[in-house]
Order: sequence, then structure tokens, then C-alpha cells
Amino acid sequence: MEIFVQQLVNSLSMAAIFVLIGIGITLIFGLTGIINFAHGEFLMLGGVFTWLLVSNGVNFFLALIAAIVLVGLVGLLLERAVFRFTLERPMNGFIISLGLSVFIRLWNSYQKSIPSPVEGVWQIGGVRIIAMRAVVVALTAAAVALTFFTISRSRYGLALRASVADLETARLMGIPVRRYVTGVFLYGSALAGLGGALMIALFPITPFVGQDVVVGGFAVALIGGLGNVAGAVVAGTVLGFADGLAAGYGQPEWTEAYSFALMILILLVRPQGLLGGTEGPASV
Amino acid sequence: MSSNGDPGYGTHPLPGPPPQAGEGNSLRSRQNLPPPSRGRAGVGAADARGSRETVVAAAVLVLVLVGVPWLNPGYRFLSVAISTGTVAITLYGLALLFGQAGIMSVGHAALMGVGAYTAAILSMRLGMGLWSALPFSMFMAALAAALIGLPALRVSGHHFVIITYAFCTLLAIVLTNGGSFTGGATGLDVEPVGTVLGINMDRLRNYYLLVIAALLASMLATYLISASGYGRTLRSIRENEPLARAVGINTGLHKVGAFMMSGAFAGAAGIFQAYYLRHISPTLYGGLPSLYIAMSVMLGGARTLYGPLGGAIIVNFLPEILNIDPVDSRIAYGAGLVAVILLLPRGMVDGLIGLYRWAARQRA
Repeated sequence: MEIFVQQLVNSLSMAAIFVLIGIGITLIFGLTGIINFAHGEFLMLGGVFTWLLVSNGVNFFLALIAAIVLVGLVGLLLERAVFRFTLERPMNGFIISLGLSVFIRLWNSYQKSIPSPVEGVWQIGGVRIIAMRAVVVALTAAAVALTFFTISRSRYGLALRASVADLETARLMGIPVRRYVTGVFLYGSALAGLGGALMIALFPITPFVGQDVVVGGFAVALIGGLGNVAGAVVAGTVLGFADGLAAGYGQPEWTEAYSFALMILILLVRPQGLLGGTEGPASV
Repeated sequence: MSSNGDPGYGTHPLPGPPPQAGEGNSLRSRQNLPPPSRGRAGVGAADARGSRETVVAAAVLVLVLVGVPWLNPGYRFLSVAISTGTVAITLYGLALLFGQAGIMSVGHAALMGVGAYTAAILSMRLGMGLWSALPFSMFMAALAAALIGLPALRVSGHHFVIITYAFCTLLAIVLTNGGSFTGGATGLDVEPVGTVLGINMDRLRNYYLLVIAALLASMLATYLISASGYGRTLRSIRENEPLARAVGINTGLHKVGAFMMSGAFAGAAGIFQAYYLRHISPTLYGGLPSLYIAMSVMLGGARTLYGPLGGAIIVNFLPEILNIDPVDSRIAYGAGLVAVILLLPRGMVDGLIGLYRWAARQRA
């Protein structure tokens, strides 16, 4: 039992990364219909920025904030320079994101790592909790809470939900839809930046990490229902647990295969995803 | 959109909706259909000139492709040309799927892998050669396509894109963990092709001609399919799926069918690649090769007959022959893809043809 709880606790931090990247993917898809393949590269950029700053003597938490801001800016820049021209045809946006994902991978392929910024291990019952992992989960929980609060309580969230539900009507009601598209790209990539910064604090990353993580992010977005933020949180947690348990109990070399099998199973039973999603907007 | 019987392929721009690369599912594009354009110099004259140009272009292409070995190209040139040719066969499959039915897949390298591994395993366990294994490779790739397509195409094109990519990653894991059956991470060796009809296929030149024959066959198949009634059915799904369903087209069946057909192309490409490389391993068929295949189709243009071949040449052939650094060429593809989508949505080949026509008009 203790081992089981230990596995669950360990898999929480991977679940946090899945959730962070899944929210960005699902938000961008919900509003624009673009499947952003470059989202994993945003996460990689977050990790690399953090690594650059920390290895130049900057405090990890300052570097984390800088990574969020920088990656957010990258997202903003790409939306303004490229993606906004593809809003008429989301499939073109997807293809462009393919191009960007091979384009952004500029760094050399060496593994990059930073010393763990928070040391220490807590012992609760028989379960060992590594402090850094707790920090990761806490920061992710804060980001998720902020996202939920904004989307469900603020007028901006209301306008966003209205735009996702019916873009044309939302525009006719005076909601500046294009500005929300920009905002979603900014926010989604900032979350990916946070994810990257947290990921490099947990384990070393390579410039190819984006490619692996983005598949997990897609799985999260699909399982939860494309465009559904709550779904992404639930699915990210489920997938994180599945990953952790598969690594602990199954054969570790099949770990990734389990999550895809889970994704295909869920799609067979519930094609709209666990909590239901959108088909993407008909046009922007 | 085929109001004047255009097969949806050919060197001249199609009449109908404005140029586009992606699915035509945006409401706006359906509402602002321009009136079908007739040729500049009257219908008959333009068609006669157009068809003569088409025939001449096809003849020149066949001559150049078949004639290459007699120009003393050297070993490296021919090897790169063979691998470009095998990839181009896959690209024609993907062009049918995306250009005609409007369904994008980023899993075609995996389908190639299914074909290649089928051939390698059949050769290893049952001693089957290239020709007897070819139908099995195509069949297994089509079967894999059906297995992915049935759950994924039920929902939407977006799900399909993601599932096909996941399939690549999944297949790589399965092949890596397959033990001695798939050879694990090191992969499998493939027997040499041997002699076919008294021609020694292990000579590079003869194998090149074999691949070119397969490539021309797949181009012809692509042309015939897209000019047929079936091609029209697929285009109706691309342009407006609800409408296609409303007029009685079984869109679910045809989408899976188109993906299976596309998979059969990839399977054939996989077996030709396996017998050329003589050794296959999981990394050949993972996510990144699939992305490159999708990019090549978009770069060349999915809806023009010569687009996929052009894409294969741009992505696989030119960087090798011109000795461009892989990192530089990767950056160039990324930037080029973005530029093509934004500026030349019908692909580079169509852009080149447009340039040629413009120059011809200036001279006249």
C-alpha cells in the first residue's frame, strides 16, 4: 500500500507537466481550431531559458518567472507574425506549427540540467516526498487555480467561453475575438514556459524533449475533450498516474504505450473525450 | 467545384474556390465562391494548349527520370535518387488523402514502417522475395490504416492528426520492444532482391529503374483515382462533409477507404525502401520522419500532380546533393514551409509553374 501511495505521489509531478502543456494546447485549439504542434517546443524553450539563466548565476525562481515571460513573448510574437494569417484555415495553422516545431529546435543536442533548486525530502508515514516535486505540484496547482478562476469568474473568461461556444455571435456581441486569440496564444505558451522551467528542475532535458512531451499534451487534450480546460486537468492527472503506475508495476519500456492505449480506448468509448469537447470553430 | 469537368489535378490552376492548402471547411470560403473562370483565350483554345503542355511535361518528366542512369550520375547521386523515389511514392499516397479527401495524416512514416517490417519478417521467416511480399506489405499497411482510421476518423480531422502521430510513437515502441521478431532497436536485415526477369536488381542502376517504375505507376494511379468518380466523391467530402453526407455519400466509409488506399501506397514505398536499405530499424519510422513526409507534401503541393514529387526532391534530394548542413536545411524547411503556406498555398511546384506562365506571357 505504501509503495502504491509512493508511486501516486511520484507520478503527481509528471501529471503536473502534462496538465500545464495540455491546458495550453486545449485552450488554443478551443478558440482557433489550430492543433499547435510547436507547443512542445515552447516547453523546451522554457527549459532552455531557465537553464541559460541558472547556469549564469540567476536564482531559479527568478529564472522561472523570466522563462514564463520570455516564452509568453515567443507565443505572442508567433501569433502576431504567423498564426493570425491562418485563422481562416486552422489546418494551415497546424501545418505551420509543424514547420515551426522543426525550426525552433536550434540548440545543440546536448543534455541540459541544473542543480535541484530546492533540496530536501519529507517523510510522511512511509511515503517520501521530494521537496522539489512538491514545489512543482504546488506551482502547477496555483496556475490551474488561476486559470479556472479567470475562465469561470472574470468577464474575460466569460467572453472567452462565449467565443469558444459561438465565435460569430460572440463577435457580433462586441467581443474582440481576435484579441482573445492573441491572449490565448500568450497565456498558453506562458504555461508551457512554466512547464519547461519546472521540468528542467526535475530532470535533465534535451532539445528534443518537445517532441515527446507534445504527444502527451495531445493525449491529455484529446482524452479530456478538445477545448475543455477542466477535461485537460482531469486527463493530465489520469495520464500522469497511468504513467507512474506503468513505470512502477508494468514493464517500464512500455510506459508510453500504456498512455496511448488508454487514449485510444477512451476515444473508442467516448469520442468527445471524458468531459466533452468542441469540434473547433467553423471559422474565425 | 468541378463544374467544367476538371479532374482536380493538372498543371493549370483549378477553377472554383480561391487557392488554399488546408481543408476547405471554413464557412467564408464556401460563401465567396467566385464564378468559375473560363480560359483567357476562349475555352477550346486554352484547353488544347493546356492538354498539349500537359502531355509534353509528362513526356519530359518520364524521359528525364528514366534517362538519369545513362548520364553517368555516380553512385551517390543514384542512391539519393532511389531513397527520394521511395519517399515520393508515400507522398503520392498522402497527397491522395490530403489533397483529395482533405484529411491530414502525420503517421505515414509509420505506415511505411508497417510495409517495410512486413517485407523483412516475411523474408526472414518464410523466405519470400520482393515481388511475393509486395501485396502483403501493401495489405498490412492498409490494414494498419484501417485500424487507426476506424476510431479516429469517427470524430474529426483534428483527432485524426493527433492519433496518427501517436500511432508513430506507439509503433516505434512496439518495434523496439518486439524482441527477436522485430529485431528490437537494432532492427532487421533484408535479403538482396536478386534477379527479376533475368535482370540483376542488385545493381544500383536497375534498382533505380525499378523504383522509378513504381513511382510512375503511383503517379498514374493518383491521376486516375483523382480523375475518376471516386476522386470526385473524395473532393466532395473535402469541400463540405455535411453536404456530402446529405446527398447520400457514406463519408465515414470513404474516409477510412481513402486512408487505407493511402496506406497501401505507403506500404509499397516501405518495401522498396527496405529492399534498398537492406537494413531497417525503428528510428526510420518514428515521429520525425512522419513530420518530414507531411512537410514535403505541403511544400510541393498536395493538389497538383507534380507537387509531391517536387516536395520529395526539395526535402530529400537537393540537400544531400548540394551538401547542405542538416541543421541549415532543417531551418530552411521550417521557414520555407511557413512561407509556402502563407504565400504559395498551392505549393512550390504550382508556384514555379505560375512563374513559368508569367514569364511566357511577358515574352509573348
